[in-house]
Amino acid sequence: MCSFFCPFMSHGSVVGVLEAVILRSFGPEGGQVLFTRDTGQAMLSRSGTHILRALHLEHPLARMVVECVWKHSTVTGDGSKTFILLLASLLRKIHTTASREPHVSHSYNSLEAAEAATARHLADKLLAFALKELDDLIAMEVAPHGRCVSWEDFTAEMHSPANHYVQKLLASFFHMRLGYVHCAFISELTCELLNHWKCIDNLPYFALQFLKDNFPAIHTPVSGFPITSSRLIEGQVIHRDFATPYPQTDHQPIKAVVFTGYLQPRLLNTGDVLEVGCGGTEERSIVDFSAWTERSLQCLIANLQSLGVSVLLSVVKQSAAVLALATQAEMCFVDCVSEDELSLFAQLSGATPISDCWRIEPEHIAELTFCRPILLGPHRYENMPFFSLTCKATHLHAKNYLGTIHTSHLQTLVADVFIIRVKVKPYSLIICGSGEGQTDQYACAFQDAIRMLFTTWEPIPATGTTAAKRTVQSDKRTSSYTHVLTDSSTCTSSNLNPLHKCVLQPGCIMPAGGTFEFLLHHALLKLSHSCSASNDTNIGVPVSRLLASALLSVPKQIYSHSPGQFLQTRTRHNAIFTQDMGLESVSCKYELLLAVLQCVTSLLRVDTILRTHTALHTQSLADTSWESTEDEAEN
Amino acid sequence: MSRLDKKSPSLCTDRPLDNTDISNKLNLLRQLLKSCFGPTARLKQVHNNIGGHVVTTSSSSVLLPVISSSQPFINLIKASILNHVSRFSDCGLFAAIFCLALIEQAKRSGLRGNVSIRVNKHLLALCSGYLQGEDCGCKVKLDFCSSHNLITLARSIVSSKPACVLTEQETLHISKLAVQAFLLTVPCSSSGTVSLGKIVTVSVEGYSVLTSVVFPGLLVDMPDGLCLTKFDYLSNPIRMVLFSTSLAGDLSDLGDGMIEVHAGVDTESQILDQLLELGKQVVDDEVKLFVCQKVVHPVLQQYLRSHGIIVVERVGITIMEPLTQLTDAQPVATLHTKIPSKAYGKVRELSMKQFGSKTMLHLQPLGESVICTLLLCHRNETMLSELKVVCQKTEHVLRLTLREPSALLGGGCTETHLAAYVRHKSKNEAPEAASVLGCSQTEYLLGVEVFCRSLEFVAKALQHDGGNSLIDLTHAHHWTLPADVLEEHMEDSLGFCGCGLVESSPSRKWTFLDTKYTEFLPLALVGDSRVQPRVLDSFTAKLSALQVATETANLALDVRYIIQDVN
Repeated sequence: MCSFFCPFMSHGSVVGVLEAVILRSFGPEGGQVLFTRDTGQAMLSRSGTHILRALHLEHPLARMVVECVWKHSTVTGDGSKTFILLLASLLRKIHTTASREPHVSHSYNSLEAAEAATARHLADKLLAFALKELDDLIAMEVAPHGRCVSWEDFTAEMHSPANHYVQKLLASFFHMRLGYVHCAFISELTCELLNHWKCIDNLPYFALQFLKDNFPAIHTPVSGFPITSSRLIEGQVIHRDFATPYPQTDHQPIKAVVFTGYLQPRLLNTGDVLEVGCGGTEERSIVDFSAWTERSLQCLIANLQSLGVSVLLSVVKQSAAVLALATQAEMCFVDCVSEDELSLFAQLSGATPISDCWRIEPEHIAELTFCRPILLGPHRYENMPFFSLTCKATHLHAKNYLGTIHTSHLQTLVADVFIIRVKVKPYSLIICGSGEGQTDQYACAFQDAIRMLFTTWEPIPATGTTAAKRTVQSDKRTSSYTHVLTDSSTCTSSNLNPLHKCVLQPGCIMPAGGTFEFLLHHALLKLSHSCSASNDTNIGVPVSRLLASALLSVPKQIYSHSPGQFLQTRTRHNAIFTQDMGLESVSCKYELLLAVLQCVTSLLRVDTILRTHTALHTQSLADTSWESTEDEAEN
Repeated sequence: MSRLDKKSPSLCTDRPLDNTDISNKLNLLRQLLKSCFGPTARLKQVHNNIGGHVVTTSSSSVLLPVISSSQPFINLIKASILNHVSRFSDCGLFAAIFCLALIEQAKRSGLRGNVSIRVNKHLLALCSGYLQGEDCGCKVKLDFCSSHNLITLARSIVSSKPACVLTEQETLHISKLAVQAFLLTVPCSSSGTVSLGKIVTVSVEGYSVLTSVVFPGLLVDMPDGLCLTKFDYLSNPIRMVLFSTSLAGDLSDLGDGMIEVHAGVDTESQILDQLLELGKQVVDDEVKLFVCQKVVHPVLQQYLRSHGIIVVERVGITIMEPLTQLTDAQPVATLHTKIPSKAYGKVRELSMKQFGSKTMLHLQPLGESVICTLLLCHRNETMLSELKVVCQKTEHVLRLTLREPSALLGGGCTETHLAAYVRHKSKNEAPEAASVLGCSQTEYLLGVEVFCRSLEFVAKALQHDGGNSLIDLTHAHHWTLPADVLEEHMEDSLGFCGCGLVESSPSRKWTFLDTKYTEFLPLALVGDSRVQPRVLDSFTAKLSALQVATETANLALDVRYIIQDVN
């Protein structure tokens, strides 16, 4: 056991320590990391971000690195472990280069300062080079060795080759994230889920966006079952038990409404004062008030009954009187439903939640094809929401709307509301695992897989094809780097034909196992050769060569258990497109490289760390000042 | 303001399986759980450091939650097993012992972590395929026409919990009651989806186990002991009303604001008048039984009683659902509106039951009902609480048979049979399997040995008195040889195998479980339906336990690093 405490280390050693932790779960031979939260809850993960954040590092530079990794992975969902590897290797290369040839043009008072200046300079140039050239280079030299799978192909049919590729891509992702054992099963399940949700709109990647945003409401974790019991079920699962007995009615369609407030009028809000028996014209007792609320509630229930509503959903907990009256009216009530689920319900059904109980319009009424309790497990436990009977809802067919239109007089209005309805059959994902830690891990991996796919198929904005514009669009972090772009010392794109500027297509995938790194390595070396031949630069080592050698650290680690395979793969890099090692996304790799280079630059720009001493109670203040230094360093 | 503390850095452990502290703890846990396994298990007493109540148990669902470890690695395994137990109620110890044995054996074999994980996964699929298949030699089809196998299944569960301290006769009595109660909850007329009823368990201390009994209908506590011994005057059926709101005279649903009451206004009496108004309606509607989930105002109670109505208050939320199912009443929660006539429920008969200090009102349903009450008696509190746990588990296991009407042979026979099957099967397909799993044949066979030895370890764990475990070489069932018997007299002293299906005969051959034997295909027992197994295990629970245990062991083998937040 070792206690983790590093008072002051240089960049290299800080990142080196992180690298040592990450390597345990990196690559096909890596394993899980078990960590406990301060609540005592145990979590399992192979996700780099989770592992790094669990370390609770104290060193400011380490915290900054972790922050960068976290920001990167929340966008792309992938590559957090490679991030640390690349970062460590880049820092090492920069340091060796800088120590060999410290900046000579300026006078520094120490060798160290000169080295730091050179390193900073190198990092800036690297970033400038990457922002300017990297996407073209990847598009020209690397992408042709991969395959482009269009989202339309994938969504077209279940057993198309595109579907096969996506499944392979997901399998590699889950292999690295969860381990080999279940990766095939889970990637199949994910593909199935995507196939069910794919036709959510005409926009190709809208389904991914939708899944990304609504994932918490779409999945249900169930612990105590083997992972292979995970499955998809039709409809939306509401994770609450029925508050009233569920009447088994078979009439179709089932009409449902959502309430945001209390059904029984709240007579007194906080701060109100009710005066009882003030001796006015009429003798009013408190009993009259309570009788009035009950009567109004009865009217409301009668109104709902006349509209044919039989399922009521509510955000807040309703009073016993509401539940009793609903039971008597043969309606079933589900209260305390989470906002996430109700928002998904509203999106799927097209019905707006009712805030004013006295104005119930047809657009408030959702029609469901079924609504039934589901037992996720053999027992019904009272305190475990996932065991409670859950009600599934909703797929609205066009003909069902017609039914409402006839009974109401708001024909045009209803038609307007529903014409943009998405035609999708909702499916929910049930994630089983032997414990809560495992189901959480699977759920995180699912979510990140969707993010990864989203990054892979993120369409290029119509106007911008350059790297700078793309990344500005996807992340704010590059905004202030434009001044670096004016730096002239990097190789210009003279050797790339400007007329045939390639564009990195969305959906480009590559064989995994270091192929991308090898190809880019060669492309960068080629570029540096042509650069040094054509123009006389003022620095000895072109940054492209530096980047090229740093890239090799990734495949080196992948094949750390068999160096022979490393050489074999290295020589084979130009061979045909194989899938033996799995597949990975080119745009995720590209985003990763940019993020790493930005992190390197911001790390090297910090020249002094001031350790201020503050009393413990102002810790939060110290933390915020921390954030600001970080931001300064980054921007 | 919340307490602000400096976050301390996390504690890290590299390669936890190589860590001696963790290995020792795993070993200790395995020894502890192993000694709790089976009908001859050693009991454990649990008591806390502040002199609380002492629990005697051997059941994993009671024992595991109280074992707390500072080591997250242990807690990971514990949590998985507990989750399994909470879903399936049975085979918790099987899962725990098998999982710990797998981890131990895999570590000892020196196989690479990834290889053992893949082999385990492969063999698990092999086992589940075999168990679910038609020609499985250790599975028994359950026949609902006779209760014999159901009682055997129930008895295996009851007898595997020695902390109940039951005699042979008592065990049988409790098993029969459990099956009877279970059958009462299954509706006779089934149309469409079947919804099962509920067994309400009432426990009474200080009586013999044999006085335990099952009643159809519900027993509701009558704490104030208003003993009406004669209910003859009640017309049949008896009309009843059920309130789900408080009738104590409070108005809770008005909101958060303040109420200012001027002098001279008696709000309380106004509310009470309203309550009495409600009481009047109930009397007019000829209600004879008045049940309230919460408190009823004493004046209202008095009024109702004076009109010959039986008042039961504070029945609690848990009994509300069975009550509505039994009586068909709809709970009422409004005070100001007339109670609709369809909200009233009906009861066929009411009677008073007296058990020790408890006086209970027995409500019998009008028609067929799926609600029943299991009254459990035992001599002292500790044994009674264990008995209650066991009965709930038995009910759950019996329910599981409705989905999958099969059971597995108990007494360790399933484990040895499965081990023999896996050995035989994997020997034949070693070259193909090894290439699929990406390992060498030697590694694969070593992995198979790890898996089979772990299965046999579980069978051996049933033995606590120093006896020897044997396996016969035709059916691969599990046999126990008492410690004081010489090997020459083996045939005579073996009698029957663990599950009671195979009888000892001179032509049989045995071998000790930890010796190597030449692999063979274990035969299923065919024909002879006269011999019934004596010990059965739940099929669904055991299959899931096998899967959960293997998955948990695989996870544990995959953990390379532990980060502990010590804040």
